[in-house]
This record gives sequence, structure tokens and C-alpha cells, in this order.
Amino acid sequence: MSEAFVAVEAAGTGTQPVPAVSGARQFWRRLRVQRAALVAAIVVALLVLVALAAPLLTAIEGQDPTTYHPSLVDSARGGVPLGSFGGIGGDHWLGVEPQTGRDLFARLVYGARVSLGVALAATAVQVAIGVVVGVAAALGNRWVDQLLSRITDIIVAMPLMIMALALLAVVPSSFPRPVLVALIIGFVAWGTIAKITRAQTLTLKELDYVAAARLSGWGTLRIARRELLPGLAAPVITYAALMVPANITIEAALSFLGVGVKPPTPSWGQMLTSADVWYQAAPQYLLLPAGALFLTVLALTVLGDGVRTALDPRAVSRLRVGTGRKGEAKADGGVGTVDAGVAKPAKTVGAGVEKEVRS
Amino acid sequence: MRHPSLRARRVAAVSVGLVLAAGAAACGPEDNDAKASAGDSTPHKGGTLTVLNSDPQQDFDPARLYTSGGGNVPSLVFRTLTTRNRENGAAGAQVVPDLATDTGRPNKDATEWTYTLKKGLKYEDGTPITSADIKYGIERSFAPELSGGAPYLRDWLVGAADYQGPYKDKKGLSAITTPDERTIVFRLNKPEGEFPYLATQTQFTPVPKGKDTGTKYEEHPVSSGPYKVVTNDNDGEHLVLERNTYWSASTDAERKAYPDKIDVRSGLDSSVINQRLSASQGADASAVTTDTNLGPAELAKVTGDKELAARVGTGHFGYTNYLAFNPHVKPFDNVKVRQAVSYAIDRSSVINAAGGSALAEPATTYLPNQKSFGYTPYDLFPAGRTGNAAKAKELLKDAGYANGLTITLTHSNSKDFETSPEIATAVQDALKKAGITVKLQGLEDNDYRDKIHNVKTEPGFFLAHWGADWPSGGPFLAPIFDGRQIVKDGANFNSGFLDDKSVNAEIDAINKLTDLDAAAKRWGALDKKIGEQALTVPLFHPVYKRLYGENIRNIVISDWTGVLDISQVAVK
Repeated sequence: MSEAFVAVEAAGTGTQPVPAVSGARQFWRRLRVQRAALVAAIVVALLVLVALAAPLLTAIEGQDPTTYHPSLVDSARGGVPLGSFGGIGGDHWLGVEPQTGRDLFARLVYGARVSLGVALAATAVQVAIGVVVGVAAALGNRWVDQLLSRITDIIVAMPLMIMALALLAVVPSSFPRPVLVALIIGFVAWGTIAKITRAQTLTLKELDYVAAARLSGWGTLRIARRELLPGLAAPVITYAALMVPANITIEAALSFLGVGVKPPTPSWGQMLTSADVWYQAAPQYLLLPAGALFLTVLALTVLGDGVRTALDPRAVSRLRVGTGRKGEAKADGGVGTVDAGVAKPAKTVGAGVEKEVRS
Repeated sequence: MRHPSLRARRVAAVSVGLVLAAGAAACGPEDNDAKASAGDSTPHKGGTLTVLNSDPQQDFDPARLYTSGGGNVPSLVFRTLTTRNRENGAAGAQVVPDLATDTGRPNKDATEWTYTLKKGLKYEDGTPITSADIKYGIERSFAPELSGGAPYLRDWLVGAADYQGPYKDKKGLSAITTPDERTIVFRLNKPEGEFPYLATQTQFTPVPKGKDTGTKYEEHPVSSGPYKVVTNDNDGEHLVLERNTYWSASTDAERKAYPDKIDVRSGLDSSVINQRLSASQGADASAVTTDTNLGPAELAKVTGDKELAARVGTGHFGYTNYLAFNPHVKPFDNVKVRQAVSYAIDRSSVINAAGGSALAEPATTYLPNQKSFGYTPYDLFPAGRTGNAAKAKELLKDAGYANGLTITLTHSNSKDFETSPEIATAVQDALKKAGITVKLQGLEDNDYRDKIHNVKTEPGFFLAHWGADWPSGGPFLAPIFDGRQIVKDGANFNSGFLDDKSVNAEIDAINKLTDLDAAAKRWGALDKKIGEQALTVPLFHPVYKRLYGENIRNIVISDWTGVLDISQVAVK
């Protein structure tokens, strides 16, 4: 973490008697005391583990996600799974898919790879583009700033789904689909993070330590890399953590509309697409991907909120339950949300430093 | 087939309407008979029939409608020279007289057809219907602003190829003559034994010249049938029909016309239609649909409920879903590869993907499995229920692909359960067992249709389907396998590029026949002969299952349309 961050944290040690530690460890400590965030982190870790271990898990089950089992569905009744609860049993832990008899557990865990992988990759692209554009706009001259800011405005104003649908339709289908979906989400939805970065950079570059660096003759690039980027870490990481669940739902929506990943590759969005008509005849078919998506988005959102709280010493968690920081929250007067922090970065950061020092 | 693109699009539109949520189920006409007699048997006059549809009755002008056998709702307002027989099952696939006294009298080589109108025919305003009005109705369908109908008239009538309709060319079509008020004669440029089938289409509806308002005619077309249009809102989204008091049952043996009023409401989602029909509340108890089938999930729900299951009509429409090969693309130039795929196919999983055994029947012939098409059962590459992987591997070895083969299957991304990803993945899984790796190429629906119907972009291996404009082998086989119908620029349907002199000659010979039963037999034999080339792998024939409301009586489902005929329905 940055010198600035450490400096701020070090100043705050008066409130919490912990030896001055590195930024990362401080962050981890602050995250750990929020029980909800901790649970969310464990859930996310499990999901990632399940996604990575998908081949192993399905091997244990003895199934794979693409083999048809026509004998396990009732062909005369539209292909509804035979047996109770959608054919749940020792062979098929979560039952089978209507019409095809494909194993639902295998499709769900392989689907996690696509859903999580696409979302994480898209977030990485969004962060990379957004930070570069945001910093360049803040540090460049008036013309560069105007140009980049207007481009950012256009990107923000662009309807994401329509753009993505159009782009997905024109790219040849030989291009690997999950990579394409991740790239398109990344390239179409970086506007907000660029705006946040620009605002934060404008604040940071007026601070004394940046001025000092400039006076000592450092170049713009070096200042950006050594002095500004570390200061940007907190808002960017926070926002990125909240973008991951948003990207999962975008991937699901694109697959739902039939332009996401290609069959027979399973994704949660694709499972939802084919399951929506089965909600009455085979409810578990719809509930499984819907439940998985719900759990993942909830866990990532709670975790993102926890990260924000841990990185912003002044912010009060919107989810007070389980944060263990009620007293602190009261003392702070409950100010500061991500948006407020974005809108008035100067005030928040400045006041934060002040208050921490004072208390 | 001068304008095959139009035709394909309309056939596709019909199929989307018919198959909407996916196919329907098998039981056959006997089943429907049993149901009709088991319920409250005698139908009575009166009441209001509600029709819940997804597709609006757009362009409700007889010149612009593209129908099979005169359509369902259009047939209540528009009478034609001939029409489809309104009976259950195979009998319903016959063509019968409507305005005319018979199905047409051909000359010796079937190039001239003469019809005589019945006596006492009247429009909704009481004026008599004359043969000149039928001629005028056909002529106006040639006007560019009233396009939309089938291309046959332009192809078949002498000197009609460049005719621009009566608004521009006052002289009219010399191919149609009306010696007197009740007689009309058609002269064709080649023998067409199936002309009586064509005369069922709404272009053969009389239109009084004095009442023609051009493109506005669709708002209030003058009725010749049992009902007249009272309301037409939002381009056919809401249509109200009431009795035409000048229509007489004594001149119309086909339409029963029990309800006093027909209320057609369209633009509804298919799941909403099925939900409303299954709930059968209020006016919906007297409701039917003419374009929405039960999908697999809905069927699963309905079959679990006895009350609902008793309110399902089952029908067959002449239609085949198949895999098409382009022999100009390697490795499909090798007949052994095409045969190997034919042997390897697992029809049971394909049928499950299409909605299960109740909504699709396995197909081993290109012609639909109905007598009127000349259906002659054959299975040239027996794959059994789940595919013959051993035989397929053997053929692949002979073809030089002992270590397996990788091919690409092109499909659409629509949700029609015909050319959609579900069917494609089922094919992919089926061929895997024979060592054939299938890569999938999914295309946006319009892109897909443009590609497969263009000789320059046609993929090597793709999902396809075909439905005929009338239940006969001619419109089923000729556009697909007649070598003279390969269209170099424009929409091509002969995807296998078959140009076999003996096949072309046989098509010409059968078109000369005016004995439709004899013609059917020869279409069946021709189908088998073409099948030996393995240019297609027939997959399944869809079956249509549709719900109707509690009060609906007198269910008639013919093999011509495969759907409940609303001219026969009673609500009391």
C-alpha cells in the first residue's frame, strides 16, 4: 500500500491499539472484524474453489456436463425428469435437466467457471481501461481532459446491453465466446470507474506529498505510478469488488438472450434461459442456477461493502449487522457512502485524515 | 418459384406461429373424435367465440394473406373457389368445392381449368358474387402495393410474369376469362394437376371492383363468408367479426359458423395464451388459439392434470425437420460421409430436444408421414432409435476417416425448437458416439436464413425444415430437389444442388396428373429415390397440441392445417 495510506493508518492507531503494520495487514484486520464480510469472503472462496475443482467434483460424482441421458426423462410428457425432485439421487446429486437428461450438478459447477471467470476477467479489463483513462484525464492538459472526459461521458451514457448485443452479433462465431463476452463487457462498461479515478486523482494531485514530488523534479509518469496509483487503490478496489457481481448478472443476461457463451458450454445465465419455462413442471431446474446466482451476487456485494469499509476508515458499513463496529459508526455520525465519497472526494479524504488525527 | 425468398419467409412465419413454443403431440384424429363425442355432444348456435393469438391478423386483405388452405380466421370472411375439407385427420387433407360447384374441370393436359360458381352467392351487402369479381381479386394481388401472397399465380398463369395489377394495367390478365357471370377459366403455361389446391388460397376470393379501396381495403374487406369485419383495431391486433346475414349455409357445406360473434385478440405472449386457456375463466372459457402450441414444459404440466389433458387438441401439419448437407463443401461431397451421419443420428435425443415423443414423431422420409403427401415409408439408413454408431464408423473408415472426423453444424439462435441450439446440441451428442466431433456455429436468426438460402454462403451442414403450402408431394419436393429451381442469385432452396435429369422429368410427369391420388403415389416413390442420395437426414415431423376453453365443442382438426378449425367450433 502507499506511503500516504500507511501514513493515514499510522495516524489512526490512537483509536485502535494495534502496532503500526503494513497497509495490507491493516486492511485484512479491518476486514476480519466484519463478520458478514468474513462469511461472504468464505462463500466467495468456496465458489472459486468449486469452479476450479469442477472436473474433480464431477469425476467424484461420475458425471459430466454434456452427456445426454434420454432414459432419465419422460419423453411422452415433454421430457420432464423421471423420479422425484427432478431425478435427484446418488447418481445425479442435483437431478437432471428436462428434455436432455444432462446432469445438473455438473452443469452447475462447470457453469460457475464461466460465470465467475467472465465476470472477473471483465472487471480486470474495466479497471485497467478506467484507471488509465481517469489518471490521464486528471493529469493531462485541458484538451486531453476535455477529450477523455467527454469520451467517458459517452461510454457511460451508452446502453450497455444494446451495445453488447450489437458487438456480439458482428464478431465471427469462431472467436472463443467466454473471452469475447468478458472483453465486450470490459470495453463497454469502464466509464464509471474512469470517472471515479479522475475525481480521486484531481484530489490527490493537490496534496502536499505530490507537490513535493513534483518539486523534486519527478516526471508525470513517475508521479502517477509512485505517488498517485497507491492512493487510488482504495476507491478502485472497492468499486471493482462491487462490479464483479454486476458483471455476473450481465453475463447471465447476455446468455439469457442467446448471445453469451455457446452451447453445450454451460453457464448460469444459459441455464436460466432454458429453465424459465419449466418453473411449474420442474421447479428445481430453475431454482438451482437462480439460487447459485443469487448467492454469488449477494456474497460478492457484501464482500465488496466490507472491502470498502476496511479501506475507508471513515465509512460506515451499510450492513451494520455483524460488522462489530457499531460504536465507531456512531462516533462517525454515519456519513459516507461510496457515492458520497466519489462525489466529494476532497472533503472525504481531507476530513478523514483530520478526524483520525484528532481522535 | 420466382420469389422463393418471400415464400420461405412466409412458410417460416407460419411455422413459427404453429410451432411457437415447440411442436405438439401425437394421438391422431381418432382421439379427437372420441373427445368430441364424450363431452356435451350437440353443438348449438350463438355465443361469442374468443380467439387468443400471438400473431396479429395483419394485412387482412385477401390479396396480401399467405395462407395454407385459406387460413383459419381469414376463412371465416373470405370464401374461395375451392377450400380444404373441414374434417378430422386424413379426410381433412382433401380439397373440396367452396364457391365453385366442383374442384375444377381441367382440359386434357391440365393447362386449362374451368370453374362454375354456385347459384345464389351474395356479399355482406346483398349484392351477388360474380366470376368477374374473382378475376378482379386475383388481378389486384399482382399489384406491388398488395404483395404478400404465394408466388404460384405469377409463375403459372400465361403472360402473368410482369403483370403489375389492375390499377396500372386496366386491361387485366388475359389468362383469366369469364365467359359469363358464373364461369371462370384459367390458362396456365404448363400442366399443373394441383391447381385445385392453389384455388384454396385467399387470392381466389371475390372482390367487388366498386368497393376496392386499394391498400385501405384490409380495414373493411367485403365479406363473402359467414362473418363480416365489424372492428379492426391496430392493424389486426383486435378483430371483431359478426354474422354476415346474406351468407347462406345452403351454399356452404364447409363452414358451420355456430357462434354469433368472433372476438380475435392478438399480440399476446404464448405463455399468457396457454395460461389463460388452462385457467379458462370468464370469456376465456369460450376461447381457442389458432397459432399457439403447448411447449414441452407446458405439456408436462398439462399431462399431469386430467381436466386440462381433456382440453387438448392434437393435430398433424405436413412438415419435416431435417439435417441438410451441401455436397459442394468437404467432406460432404463424399456420399459415405453423408450416409455415416444418417446412420449415426440418435433420433430419440433429437426428439426429446424438440419436446418429446408427444410433440414430435421420428422421420426417416423427407415427405411428411401423411397419406395426402404420398407418404411411402422407407428407412434407407436404419439408425434405430438411438443411432447405429458401428455402421457409421465402418462407413467413415471406408471414406478415409478411420480416426474420426470433425465437422461444423450451423444452426440459428432462435428459440423455435426447430433450428435452435437445443436441437443442434442433441445432434452433436448423437454423432459423438460415432466418433464425429461436431462444432456448433450459431447464427442470429435472419443471418442464418440468409446464409442457408444463398448458394454462395450455404454452409456444409445445417438444421433445416420445410412445410408445404398444401398437402401434396409437389410443393414439398419440387422446390428442394428440382435441379431447374437452383437459384444462383436470390433465395435458393435446393440446398443439396440436386440436378438429376430423371428426377426433373418425373416431377414434370407428375404435375401433368389430375388424379391426385395417383400423383400422391408417384411423389412417394420419387421421395424414396431421392432419399438414396442422402442429401438430407430427416429428423422428425412435429405434432401440434393446443389447449382450448371449457365451453368449446365440435373439435375438428384436419391433417391439412393440424390445428383446431374455428369454422367448426361451437361455444354452446
